[in-house]
Amino acid sequence: MDETERPGEGVPSEPPSEPAGEAPVLPSLSPGEGRAESKAEASSASPELPAPAEETAPAKEPSPPPPPKSPPARRRISLAERLREPEEVPIELPASTLRARSRRDFLMFGAGALAAAAGFWWLLPDGTKQLHLTPGLRDWIDSLEARLGADPKRRERFLNRVLTFDDDVAEALYSADRSVRTYSKSQVTPLRNNYAGRTPGPDYIPGWTLTVSGLASGQIERLTIADLLARFPHRDQVTRLYCVEGWSIVAWWGGLRFADFLRAYPPAPGARWARLDSAVALDGAGNPDPYYVSIDLPTARHPQTLLATHVSGRPLPVEHGAPLRLLAPMKLGLKNIKAITSIAYVAQEPADYWNDRGYSKYDGL
Amino acid sequence: MSATTVETASRAPAVRLVVPKHHALVRLSHWANVPLLLGLIVTGLSIYWAAPVFEHPPDRVTRSTDYVADIGIWIVKHVPGAGPARDPGGWIYNRIGIGTFQLSHALRLHWFFAYLFMANGLLYVLGLALGDGYKALLPRLSDAPEALRMTRYYVGVVPAKLLRRPWPHPPVRSKYNALQRGAYFAMPLLGILAVASGWAMHKPVQLHWLERMFVNYNGARIVHFWVMVALATFVIPHVILVIADGWDTFRSMIVGWSERLGGRHGRD
Repeated sequence: MDETERPGEGVPSEPPSEPAGEAPVLPSLSPGEGRAESKAEASSASPELPAPAEETAPAKEPSPPPPPKSPPARRRISLAERLREPEEVPIELPASTLRARSRRDFLMFGAGALAAAAGFWWLLPDGTKQLHLTPGLRDWIDSLEARLGADPKRRERFLNRVLTFDDDVAEALYSADRSVRTYSKSQVTPLRNNYAGRTPGPDYIPGWTLTVSGLASGQIERLTIADLLARFPHRDQVTRLYCVEGWSIVAWWGGLRFADFLRAYPPAPGARWARLDSAVALDGAGNPDPYYVSIDLPTARHPQTLLATHVSGRPLPVEHGAPLRLLAPMKLGLKNIKAITSIAYVAQEPADYWNDRGYSKYDGL
Repeated sequence: MSATTVETASRAPAVRLVVPKHHALVRLSHWANVPLLLGLIVTGLSIYWAAPVFEHPPDRVTRSTDYVADIGIWIVKHVPGAGPARDPGGWIYNRIGIGTFQLSHALRLHWFFAYLFMANGLLYVLGLALGDGYKALLPRLSDAPEALRMTRYYVGVVPAKLLRRPWPHPPVRSKYNALQRGAYFAMPLLGILAVASGWAMHKPVQLHWLERMFVNYNGARIVHFWVMVALATFVIPHVILVIADGWDTFRSMIVGWSERLGGRHGRD
C-alpha cells in the first residue's frame, strides 16, 4: 500500500466552506496539533481550520488558562494537550479520486497477499508441504513456482544467506573483552550427553594423541594428554552451555586455556581459523562419522575458551569428550567439540559439521 | 449522516466527505504483521519442539514429557477429523508448526521473519509518529470506567440481539474505545517484549544484561512463549470485532480513510 493522501493530487485546496454536517463534538486542538495533523494526513484542511474551536476549549478544560493567540505561546502548551488525540476532521475528495485510490490500494493489497502466500509456500520444507493441500495442488503450485525461479535449490541458497546475515550480526556483537557470566559450583545442573550419534567406546583413549598442524614452526606436533596436563596451568570455570535445541546446563569445567596453548604452539602467520576434528565420533548406527568444527582465532584466544580436560573436578568421561574437548562458552554447544584428535590452523574458514547440515557457521552467543 | 455535497471550485463535481484514518506506513506494517507473525509462530513452534521448556515427568500411557505434545494427543483423541495421526504428540508441531525434525530449517526461517518483524516495527512506529496516530493509542484517565462500560456492552450484545432488545453502543468520543485502546496500546509493547526476549535467547552472552532482565535463559524462553500465545490470542477478538463492525472499518485499514463522519463509536 502506498501513501493514500498525497497533497495536491486532485484534492481541493480549500477547506469546506462550512465546518461540514458533523460539527466538532469535542473541543478541538490547539493550533500546534492542527499543524501536525494536516501535515501528516496531508488533508486538505488548512492549519487554520481548528482555530475556531480553540475558543471552546477552556469551557471543557477549565484548569489551564486559554493559550494566548500569539505564535510564541506554543511553548506554553502543556504536554497533555500536545498528546491529546486530534479531532477527526472530514475532508472532501472527488468520488473519482477515491475510487481510483481504492482500486489501487486493493490491487496492491491483493498482490501483496498473493506474493506473501506464494513466498510462504516456497520457503516451507519439502516434508512439511507433504502434510498440507492435496498432491495435485502441491505439484501444480511447485511447478508454477519453479517456472518463476522459486525452486528448492534457490530456497536453500536464500536460507543460507539469512544465516550468513545473522552470523555477521553475531560477529559484530562479539567483543573480546566481554567475559562470559560465571556461576558458583552450587548452581551446577545435571550434565547431558548430546553426542550427535552414538557415544564412542573408551578403546580410543589409551592411544589418544592430539595432532597440531599449521604451526609457525612448520612442524606437526603430536601431544599426549600427559604432555598437556604437565605443561599448562589448570583453570576452573563454571559456565552455562547453551544448546541450539534450546536447553542449557551449568557445568564446572577444568582445563587449559586455548590462549596459553596458542602461545606455546603459535600458528603460522596468516592463520585466522582453527579447524578442530574428532576422528572417533560415530553416527547413530555406530559407523565412523568424524566431527569437525571451525573456530575463529579471536574466539580461541578469549581467556574463557578452554581446552577442557575435567568436568566436576574429575577427568572428562567418555560421554563428555575424554580426554580433551573444546569449551567455548560464547558459542553454541555444538561448537564445543568432544574428543578432539587434531587442531589445524588455517587461513581460510574451514568447514563445520553442523553448518554443512543447515546450521549457523559462527554460532556466536 | 447528512449528505452534504459541497460544491467547491474543484474540477470534479461529485465529492465525498471522508475522514483520514491510518497513515500509509501504519497500514503497510499492519498487514505485513500477518505473514510475519504467522511465520514466526509456525517456525517458533518447530524450534520449541526440539527442547520444550514446559515439561513434566513421562506420561505412563503416551510417554510424552511435553505439555504442547499433550495438547496434540488430546486433539487427535477428541476432536473429530483431527486424526488419525501417525504421531499424535507431533500434531501441534505438524499442523500449526512447520513440523518435527525441522530445527535447522525453522531456525533460519525464524531469523528471516524476525529481522523483518523488527524492521516492520520501526515502520509502524514511524507511521504512528508521522500520522500522529499514537495519540489515539495513549491511555487516559477515563479509560477505566469506559472499559467497564464497553465490557458490559460486548458481553450483552449477543443476548440483546437474540432477545431483540435495544442495546445501544456506549458513546465513544475518540478514534478507539477504551478496550480497543488498551489492546492496541499493548500490542507494540508485546512486540517489544517478543523482540527483547528473542534477543536474550539468541545472544545471551554478548547481551547478557538482556538475559538477566528475564532472570535467566529459561526466563526469556518462558516470556517468549507466552508473548506468542498473547499475540495469537489477540487476533481472535480483533478479527471478530472487525467483522462485526463492518466493511468501512476493514476498508479503512487498506485505503486509509473512512466514510463514517463524526459518529465515533464501535470501530474495532
